[in-house]
Amino acid sequence: MFASARSTTLLGVVGRCVDVEVHVGIGLPGFTIVGQPDEVCRESRDRVRAAFLSRGFVWPNRRITVNLAPSGERKGGSGLDLAIAVAVLVADEQLPPSVLDGHAFVAELGLDGSLRDVVGAAPLVAAVRDRAVVVAAGNGAAALAAGARRVLVASDLAHAVACLRGDDEWLAHDGTSASPALESLPDLSDVRGQPVARLALEIAAAGAHHLLFVGPPGAGKSMLARRLPSILPPLTDDQALSCTMVHSAAHTALPSTGRIEHPPFRAPHHSVSLVGMIGGGTAAMRPGEVSLASDGVLFLDELGEFAPSVLDALRQPLEEGVVRVSRARTTLSLPARFLLVAAANPCPCGSGAPGVCVCDDAARARYLRRFSGPLLDRFDLRVSVGLPHVDDLVGSRTGEASAVVRHRVAVARAAAMARQGTVNAALAIDQLDVAAPLTPAARAVLRRELEAGRLSGRGLHRVRRVARSIADLHGVHEIVAEDHVALALQMRTALATLVGGSR
Amino acid sequence: MSSPQHGSVGNYDESTVAAALASLSGVGPARLRTLVVSLGAHDAWRTVRGELPARDHIAALLRDGDLGRLWCREATPELLDRTAAALSAGNMRVLLIDDPEYPPVLRNDHAAPAVLFVRGNLAACAARRVGIIGTRSASAAGRHFARRLGTQLAAAGVAVVSGLARGIDAAAHRGVLEPTDTSPPGAPIGVVASGLDVVYPREHSALWHDVATRGVLMSESPPGCKPDAFRFPLRNRLLAALSEVLVVVESRATGGSMITVEEAAKRGVTVMAVPGSPHVATSEGANLLLAQGCAPVCTVDDVLVALGLDHRRAHPQRDPRPTPSAADRRVVDALLARPLTFDDLVASLGERAVDVALSLGRLEASGWVTCTAGWWEALLVA
Repeated sequence: MFASARSTTLLGVVGRCVDVEVHVGIGLPGFTIVGQPDEVCRESRDRVRAAFLSRGFVWPNRRITVNLAPSGERKGGSGLDLAIAVAVLVADEQLPPSVLDGHAFVAELGLDGSLRDVVGAAPLVAAVRDRAVVVAAGNGAAALAAGARRVLVASDLAHAVACLRGDDEWLAHDGTSASPALESLPDLSDVRGQPVARLALEIAAAGAHHLLFVGPPGAGKSMLARRLPSILPPLTDDQALSCTMVHSAAHTALPSTGRIEHPPFRAPHHSVSLVGMIGGGTAAMRPGEVSLASDGVLFLDELGEFAPSVLDALRQPLEEGVVRVSRARTTLSLPARFLLVAAANPCPCGSGAPGVCVCDDAARARYLRRFSGPLLDRFDLRVSVGLPHVDDLVGSRTGEASAVVRHRVAVARAAAMARQGTVNAALAIDQLDVAAPLTPAARAVLRRELEAGRLSGRGLHRVRRVARSIADLHGVHEIVAEDHVALALQMRTALATLVGGSR
Repeated sequence: MSSPQHGSVGNYDESTVAAALASLSGVGPARLRTLVVSLGAHDAWRTVRGELPARDHIAALLRDGDLGRLWCREATPELLDRTAAALSAGNMRVLLIDDPEYPPVLRNDHAAPAVLFVRGNLAACAARRVGIIGTRSASAAGRHFARRLGTQLAAAGVAVVSGLARGIDAAAHRGVLEPTDTSPPGAPIGVVASGLDVVYPREHSALWHDVATRGVLMSESPPGCKPDAFRFPLRNRLLAALSEVLVVVESRATGGSMITVEEAAKRGVTVMAVPGSPHVATSEGANLLLAQGCAPVCTVDDVLVALGLDHRRAHPQRDPRPTPSAADRRVVDALLARPLTFDDLVASLGERAVDVALSLGRLEASGWVTCTAGWWEALLVA
């Protein structure tokens, strides 16, 4: 008469438990789903009925009411199909009520009764990880990565029912034989020459400083940025899990192990919409690019081409490490602790060099107006990259490999964490004097730049943080010396001096 | 005879009426000269309005492309009121070509403007005059040179003529306005294309004000006139006509500076050019001029000699900057050929980025190098 099966729906990057209650009773034959189902959810009525008939189950010709509890929240997605089907079977007394105990069901049904993969399997399963979770074959790896107590894989509805009855064996899921071989990331040894650009990547990785490359087309800005994940410290278990959750929820391809092992790299095209960047959109609140890049790198090529509203929306997540999305029905926080790397041309013609650039002042000023000042200010590192030299390109000398650089970065980061418990880019201003004390010579350099008007008060703090990272990379973990500050100053080109070009 | 009414042409003096005539659409230097010189401003105004009969070449002028009907519509008493208000609001004076204050050097020119709008003190035009011109998108080294040349010429008592454009022009006048240890700021002569109350480019409004305060700002465009493209070549002929010697600091092979050079050549004005690296596109025009036989300008003495002034007492030739160390010298030498980014510099020197950064910091502080938007350039003279 009545049955209740456990399943989950997705909101943002977390699954929420849903009890699928089914009542089969007297009345006109019919099938209704209540409890705020969305369009996909309501259509499961037809899928479940067709799956019953395809697999030879008897469809109860009575009044069937499905309630998705808690009924106050909106439910979306097709992951409830299997739970509805099993609950109907129990309520119609074709299955004993005991099969529902300790189980949860996360799968979509095909019209032929087969079990299909669902979007966001990892966070969905994580919400019911204390139970034995029945999933489709393709979600086995993700369900295992989410840490479910038991993962049960079935091929179709009849198979799942037989297994629940104890008449058949669950399938072996393919996540168990996860190969430890990691997919190879692009390596820094491919970069020939460009010593300063390489150095900028290393400093950015060590101190988690946001980085802007300015250079002509063909300078290898994208190539450099793509190699940043290979020198970042490896993800911790917590970070790997949270990355996996986000990527699963956004339905991006997961590695064969079902678990993300490397810092992610996201490079959205400049036509990306505000919702695509920040998240939201559907009832399930799909995570945006900032969340997909969390714990990894968000690369914005052609920074000037992005819509200003999209760039301005980045400022809050850059400050807080989370992005709060509010819609009429829901408000939720999504992770957004990303390292921002951007690339821009120095001017419309792209060359930028004095005497070579053919842009007139108006065109250049118009181009620079596209960059919002507050966003440009967030970049601790602003580096000009030039075209690689022919000798470097055809020469046989390869650059330093990522593994070597990654080791230095890991040592520097560990030193920073041991000293102040945070990465250098996140040093508060009042912490600077304690965590990054300056030698008298270094202080004199900064004073000289401030007095000459080449450095602003805000830039001063950013330069000190970068100098802290440079000193850490040099193995100097206590004090910041003159050479560290001098290098940090060179790593922060003032774009604004392009305007007018008069002074 | 009835008393003159408000807005009637009789209320206004000759120069205000001439200014209003200059505001009519389609009036260029030649037509304005025809109207004002052959008829006088008042009669020209009445003729344009159809109150006096037009004769001979004036009639032909008015028939040309229906100008007569257009001007008749535009030449209203309101235009006179507006012009008079703009002149007094902008603190401008109007000099007709027969005005005793009109700069004699311009009056003798074959294409002298019939009406000149002036703000400031015309005494500067009586001094020796050198024009400094060049490209708007100049390199930092070029701007530095122009600025220094301006300062030194001003210290030698020479007035600097320039166009107040971005780049070289502005740098030269900024140099003139800079006092030295031994002399006060000089007297600049600024010649602009737009009306004197339309500052272009807008970021130069402080510079315009300073030029008008210390020296003189002049234009042949009436108040409110926009910086239309066709006005710049006309402005350039005034630059050439006002200069005794014209120095091209940096210029591309074509462009406004080269037009000024042509105008100077027509008038027999000595043209000199600052040699530049063949790697730098902004020095192409200057190098071309040198190849054609212009005298080079390497120091201010070259210009003073061309003017026939005594250059020996003018300046001590000592470079006040501290001599760079051997390591720093390598950085300066690498930058002398062409501007480089920090990345290029580190790659070409093959040294550690930290050492190059330290050198650049020291050199920038002592004035040997300068950085514009990520590009480093060496400065040869202090």
